[in-house]
Amino acid sequence: MDPLIAISDLWVEVGGKSVLRGLDLQIPDGEVHILFGPNGSGKSTLLSAIMGLPGYRITRGTIHFRGKRIDGLASNEIAQLGIGLAFQHPPAIRGVALETFIRSIDRSGSTGEAFHSLHLDSHRKRELNCGFSGGELKRSEILKLTAQSPELILLDEPESGVDLENLAIITEAINRILDKQQPLRLRRRGGLIISHAGFILDYVEANLGHIILDGRIACSGNPHEMFEEIRKEGYEHCVQCLAKRSGEKP
Amino acid sequence: MNSTTPSERELKGVGFDPTIEHAGSFLLEDLTITQALPRTSAVEVLPLAEAMERYDWVRERYFRLVSREQDAFTREAAATGPSGVFIRAFAGEKVLLPVQSCFLLRTPGLRQVVHNLVVAEEGAELHLVNGCTTARYTDIGTHIGVTEYYVGRNARLTSSMIHHWGDEVEVYPRSAAHIEEGGHFVSNYIAMSRVGMIQMYPTAILERGASATFNSVVYAPAGSKLDLGARAILRGADAAADIISRAVSDGGHVINRGHIIGEVAGSRGHMECNGLLLAEDGVIHAIPELEGRSPEIALSHEASVGMISREELAYLMASGLGEESARSLIIQGFLEVPLADLPPFLQKTVRGLITQAKSGEAV
Repeated sequence: MDPLIAISDLWVEVGGKSVLRGLDLQIPDGEVHILFGPNGSGKSTLLSAIMGLPGYRITRGTIHFRGKRIDGLASNEIAQLGIGLAFQHPPAIRGVALETFIRSIDRSGSTGEAFHSLHLDSHRKRELNCGFSGGELKRSEILKLTAQSPELILLDEPESGVDLENLAIITEAINRILDKQQPLRLRRRGGLIISHAGFILDYVEANLGHIILDGRIACSGNPHEMFEEIRKEGYEHCVQCLAKRSGEKP
Repeated sequence: MNSTTPSERELKGVGFDPTIEHAGSFLLEDLTITQALPRTSAVEVLPLAEAMERYDWVRERYFRLVSREQDAFTREAAATGPSGVFIRAFAGEKVLLPVQSCFLLRTPGLRQVVHNLVVAEEGAELHLVNGCTTARYTDIGTHIGVTEYYVGRNARLTSSMIHHWGDEVEVYPRSAAHIEEGGHFVSNYIAMSRVGMIQMYPTAILERGASATFNSVVYAPAGSKLDLGARAILRGADAAADIISRAVSDGGHVINRGHIIGEVAGSRGHMECNGLLLAEDGVIHAIPELEGRSPEIALSHEASVGMISREELAYLMASGLGEESARSLIIQGFLEVPLADLPPFLQKTVRGLITQAKSGEAV
């Protein structure tokens, strides 16, 4: 069976600068992977490139979603195939009520419940992302994903600027989107989550962690152990480790 | 339906709809009044000429807020005489259902000149829905409309005007409002279809504690020229005015004016003058003016002219919307103005008219 997503030798330019430089990554069906990496390593660029956002130019490599090549497609086509991205900084859109937006993208039929569980019932008539607090923005992005009901969710630092109470609400909804309540054999949906703080690991079960350095995956492994090590040693340790490895195997 | 009968669709498109409950109606076809009907004893709806015969005080108020000598169009209206409608809500009457009026231009090339006078007496509440439109086959013509609004002490008067003219029609409304102490006046203006030229700059004069809101929502396709504005003169203490306009140009030329004059301490004014350009050859020219004549006033404005934000478009498309739907949602959002001053059911009507105008003509 084709993996949920398969990225091969991906090179991406942003503003004329190569940010991703030969990145390879595969996520099998039903798995959640966590992406760690220092600022500027290319984490957000990877999610934006998968989503086909303008300004992220793929100069080499391929992205396949369930066997279908998606690099080069418009972002609405990619979204319609079943990929959803929760933005770290979603833009405010004046005059468009949150409810109107959600209705226009709804493929789930269960947004009524989601408004409630994400504590956004009182925000239905609010203008989309206008004056939303950090926690409200995160909740509304997850509401958006619930409406889209994607097969693959891409989350850009879902825990940044969010207190523990909000984190619990958000991650509960993420787990619902990922069908975590279903037995393992029935779960097909997966996710790729950028995390800085690693808190998300306490709430969303992740299968694999990756460290991205200088535009490629430097290291993959148990996400909990990985995060523990990053916490103790910092990314500088990864850089040294990588240098040592490449020294051993020229 | 034969071609000389105005179709219900045209009239409904500008809010003249007998199936919606209303407090009165007035219809002018070309130069002939074909309907002037109050439906409640709380309001009076009469041809203005008749009201002037009946009441001295109406005669006194004729051309009192708008000057006969203002320009060629007001002179033409003065020469034509009291040709439009007189609408009054009696003191203390809260008339929540709207009074509908419609000015229909049927004969191609005609100059339709009207003069209306509206009075909300002390403590009264009155809501008007005015539609101005042409028969489907009429592309050329001129409409000149003088309207004088008198808002009594603590009265509320809202006037929602929907314009839907032919491609080459020229329109010159000349209106003014006087709002007495504690009174409240709201003007909503909606124009979503192509028109040769609309030029207007209504003025509101506000006494102590009075307030006025002008909302305008316009869409100008190629070929349209709209020179629009609103002026508020804050003459009494604690008077407040808001002028909010949203203009979209898809090739048309829009001049978006606003002028708030704060004459006395404690007055407050705010203006939002926002333009969205969709096409290369369109023009939006925002001219907001604030004029303070006392140190203790608060006047502010926000003006912008720009195109659809790429970031917003990318965000919506990444949520699964096609480019056209995403653009349409942004434009609809841009044109959304607060209508909080209208009673809930009328908000629904006016929003419905905006949506209908948008889907039919704009986006």
